[in-house]
Amino acid sequence: MESGLSSLLSVSIDFETSHLFFPTIIHWVMAGLFVLILVTKVVPFLAAVKRGERTMPILGEPMDGFRFFGTLVLIVAYFYLMAVVGNLFPYTGYGFLFVSMAFVLLMSLMYMHEWTKKAVTIVVINAVVAPSLAWFILAKLFNITLP
Amino acid sequence: MEFLSLLDFTFFLLAAFGALVGIIFGAIPGMTATMAVAVCLPLTYALGLHHGLALLLGLYVGGISGGMVPAVLLNIPGTPSSITTTFDGYPMAQKGQGEKALRVSVIASVVGGLISAAVLFLFAPMLADFSIKFSYVEKFLIILLALSVIASLSSSMLVGIFSGVIGIWLSLIGDYSISDGGNGKTRLMFDFMEPYLFEGFSLLPVLIGIFGISTILLEAEKGVKSELSNERIQFGKGGGFSLSLFKGRLTNLVRSSFIGTFVGMLPGVGGSAASVLAYTQEKNLSKDSSQMGKGAPQGLIASESANNALTGGALIPLLSLGIPGDSTTAVLIGAFTLQGIQVGPLFIPENAETWYIMMTALVFANIVMFFLMFYAIKHIAKVVMVPKHILYPIIVMMCVVGAYAINYGIMFDVWTLLIFGILGYLVQKIGLEVAPLIIGFILGSQAEVYFVKSLESFGTFSIFFTKSPIAVVLWLLILASVAFSIVMSLKSRAKRRQELLS
Repeated sequence: MESGLSSLLSVSIDFETSHLFFPTIIHWVMAGLFVLILVTKVVPFLAAVKRGERTMPILGEPMDGFRFFGTLVLIVAYFYLMAVVGNLFPYTGYGFLFVSMAFVLLMSLMYMHEWTKKAVTIVVINAVVAPSLAWFILAKLFNITLP
Repeated sequence: MEFLSLLDFTFFLLAAFGALVGIIFGAIPGMTATMAVAVCLPLTYALGLHHGLALLLGLYVGGISGGMVPAVLLNIPGTPSSITTTFDGYPMAQKGQGEKALRVSVIASVVGGLISAAVLFLFAPMLADFSIKFSYVEKFLIILLALSVIASLSSSMLVGIFSGVIGIWLSLIGDYSISDGGNGKTRLMFDFMEPYLFEGFSLLPVLIGIFGISTILLEAEKGVKSELSNERIQFGKGGGFSLSLFKGRLTNLVRSSFIGTFVGMLPGVGGSAASVLAYTQEKNLSKDSSQMGKGAPQGLIASESANNALTGGALIPLLSLGIPGDSTTAVLIGAFTLQGIQVGPLFIPENAETWYIMMTALVFANIVMFFLMFYAIKHIAKVVMVPKHILYPIIVMMCVVGAYAINYGIMFDVWTLLIFGILGYLVQKIGLEVAPLIIGFILGSQAEVYFVKSLESFGTFSIFFTKSPIAVVLWLLILASVAFSIVMSLKSRAKRRQELLS
């Protein structure tokens, strides 16, 4: 009995495949937990959705589509263009500086609800000053690498 | 007392300057104490060892403390270790008690910092002796304990564990590092990803993405309502704060400080684990934890005293074993090497003067941090008192700098921000928990090394139970944590049922 238990618990790990040993265990644990959650949480939740008591997350909720997808598009464009412009002026951080200015301006304008003259002025000043300041302090004073 | 002659005005000035810069770094979401230390490391080339240490320790203490500002006012932890500060700080800020919340946190911080400094000073050799006995088996169990504890904090333990396991899974992406004794082969990815993901996702971009970018996505979805930003500016008129808030909280304060010190001391188990553990213990042990998570000062006390206590704790293995207790002390090793000092078991006996100087800097930095934050918090908090449409683009911009600079200019780290920003958004939308996921991610790769190495050396799973008395104690703690969470959830369920009936 004793030896049966100890042989059950004994394990040897082949070095060649040792990188897969722990991930395999994690996969099994994940699968087990997923099934448990499916049964105890997801199925009752879907039933509640069907009865109209709950709504589906994301799909069934009200959403400011313009600002949400606008944010995603702006961030993707920001990251992409930063590298592109940065490659035009290597080791200067200008890619970060110029593209950040455009990004900060556009994102601020998109998030602003009431366009007053004063608010827009502040936004424009901020879009020029904030990236310049960050660029100056980080890239110039502290010598941090920027795109 | 010969070391006193080595202290001069510049020394204190640098420690104070370090604390101030650290607080500002910590207060900007995405900028951490680690970054503050890393950024200012070049400045120490020009300084001598003692002046350099003053600056670095000031940055460390300030950086850890500054994290509370955005945690309370914005619900974004400024540093990972402020995760649990958001649980109670943000609800308080929404009720107009932001300043009260910050002052409670500052006092908790300085107490935590000073207690841990005292522990560091008095018990460094002894405590180091204790943790040096930990083998891989115990280290793995410590991680398991941390994960079970954080899962017990979640609204549903099952969901909490599942989120934690997803975090571990994400941390395993990349190679099984040769420097950890692995075979250097990659897993959980396709071949074309190898150039980007050979070493897996970097920790900081992942954290910044999940906490910074996904917060902004969640806000964007709701339309970035402007009236919310007015609410944020109200952090109260200093009303409601008095020392009596700490009445009956002394146990919590001291316990959390010691938890923070102890967790900080465990090599590699640093950062958020300390505050999470202290927070959970307060939740489990206090007489009335029903308000925790809704704006209770006791949660802030637990979280902030623990994360500041981390500083002293994390320095213990660094100075006695040469092993960093967290990512910031990992950078500190770099600073020591630059100055030609080898940290290890012989460091303290051979460099008594430097050891005393470090202690002086650490205590002084804590005191400076206290005065700066307690009396100037209103001015410092202005960093986060800007309207959202001004603040958010700047946050994204600073997130980019943080991610890009941490590994000295890797564009993929910037894309990691977006990947984990979207992942964090989806995770929160479908009801999974972010905190366990992050803890799983931070601890996952170490857990693998400790787990696999234990089995390779002993060849049987039973070793995790029979290795040492410490292992048995750790198992008991894990069981206790699970049992507590089950009992608590049964209790609250019964209470809710009673309320429904009445």
